[in-house]
Amino acid sequence: MSDLVWQSIGDLARAIASKKVSPVEVAQAHLDRIAALDPKLKAFITVTAESALAEAKAAETAVMSGEPLGPLHGVPLALKDLYCTRGVRTTGGSRILADWVPEADATVVTRLAGAGAVSLGKLNMHEFAFGPEGLNQHYGTAWNPWDANTHRICGGSSSGSGSAVAAGLCAGTLGSDTGGSIRIPAALCGLSGIKPTYGRVSRAGVLPLAWSMDHVGPMCRSAADCALMLNVIAGYDPRDPSTSVLPVPDFTAALTGEVKGLRIGVLRSFFLESTGVVLRQAVEEALKELEGLGATAHDVNLATAKYAAGASSAVIGPEAYAYHEAWLKERPQDYGDDVRERLRVGAFVSGGDYLKGQRARARIRDEVNAALGGADVLVCATTPLVAPAVGQSEIAVGQDKVPVRASLIRYTRVFNLSGHPAASIACGFTAGGLPVGLQIVGRPFDEATVLRVADAYQRVTDWHRRRPPIDPPATTA
Amino acid sequence: MLVNAGGSRYSLAMDPLTLETLAALARERGLSLSERELAGLLPLVETGRVAIGGLDALLARDDEPASHFHIL
Repeated sequence: MSDLVWQSIGDLARAIASKKVSPVEVAQAHLDRIAALDPKLKAFITVTAESALAEAKAAETAVMSGEPLGPLHGVPLALKDLYCTRGVRTTGGSRILADWVPEADATVVTRLAGAGAVSLGKLNMHEFAFGPEGLNQHYGTAWNPWDANTHRICGGSSSGSGSAVAAGLCAGTLGSDTGGSIRIPAALCGLSGIKPTYGRVSRAGVLPLAWSMDHVGPMCRSAADCALMLNVIAGYDPRDPSTSVLPVPDFTAALTGEVKGLRIGVLRSFFLESTGVVLRQAVEEALKELEGLGATAHDVNLATAKYAAGASSAVIGPEAYAYHEAWLKERPQDYGDDVRERLRVGAFVSGGDYLKGQRARARIRDEVNAALGGADVLVCATTPLVAPAVGQSEIAVGQDKVPVRASLIRYTRVFNLSGHPAASIACGFTAGGLPVGLQIVGRPFDEATVLRVADAYQRVTDWHRRRPPIDPPATTA
Repeated sequence: MLVNAGGSRYSLAMDPLTLETLAALARERGLSLSERELAGLLPLVETGRVAIGGLDALLARDDEPASHFHIL
């Protein structure tokens, strides 16, 4: 297998721009790897090999003719299958939309193409993004590449995104995050992913789960690559009234490697109390690493975090039900059992309870803002557990058995409710080789600091450079 | 002065939810659900109601809802 599949987005873009490698060669290397590994991994729902090679050929022509090149010129990416793609089916991981072919691209898809990216296809996900495990009974559940022998979940809902980037099937991807769906698979698959501030990135042309909590963001193998992708997709979009008119900084320029004097608020209470020992140790070690770089740390408590489950139930259920109501009545049999049942629950939340959830969000947001008044970032584990096996509904954490589904979103959904930017990066591995995620939360519209901290950590550690044990056997000539 | 300053007259949120009540609510919402489906939904709906009911401990009467569009 070509080493091209392990190159960073930045390195690939530089190598292509300097004519050291052809975009066609890069695309073909990734397509070969998809052909070899995806029958097992099930990361892709649709592979667009033909159009990818055509785009790569056009990118090669542009390079050779000296045309101005975008920052992602010739870089092979893939999209979670809830981004509308003109002429390419967009299923949302569902049977309901199995044959739906949009007539227009999502705004972020247009922006990636404008930056020169080559699209390899559409990625697997939990049906309609409504589940943190990444299960899918229609297209098969994506396989976590960090365990070649046991079928473990990738986390969701952006499960195919987690699997594909971790396995070197694409250089980066866009996920989406309503309760943790970028950060959870990033944590369980050893990746870097960032949920930007609500309003930073357009959701126009992205299938919704819950309009007021949906976020769009990149998932890559490093924070530096996330910065490159965020540079391209961030910013006001007249097609999405929730996008902010605030100027977008150069996120790559913010990656100075410098965190001296940075104040870290450590979320131990609630966020670490039901976390496995190995995960707690990994988070504490990461903190020491950052302190060694000159940051200072102090404990922070978010007393409202315990209300996140109630607020989330009040908001996500009715918003999701509102979008799905007609299909639920006309085609209930076409939903997977788990998603159909979860969507129906939203029918029984009253208008008053919905507003109760929105009122609670204001309190949660205010408390997170207050915590970030005395800290530049907040950190905690991304999830209390590492990737469980598919079908495992409970997992032992210390003396307790905890439900997998509720546990996966326990530390992430708080920041969907509050809207703050939050990233996950790998900060260690269990003895069994499963990755552990560190969550970094920043002030509204300060993704730059979140990424700077993540990148500074990655400059002195190598967790993000590890490769999963899934390479196919080498072929002999 | 508010007539019901001490609390809502309607405390249904914390009343136990029965299968019959859920069936009536489902019909009212135009959902055609079997008894088996209703039985599967009941604990999920009840768990959600309890969690949402717990928000009363957080909220003051004059807390306004978050309007996430353009708040940040």
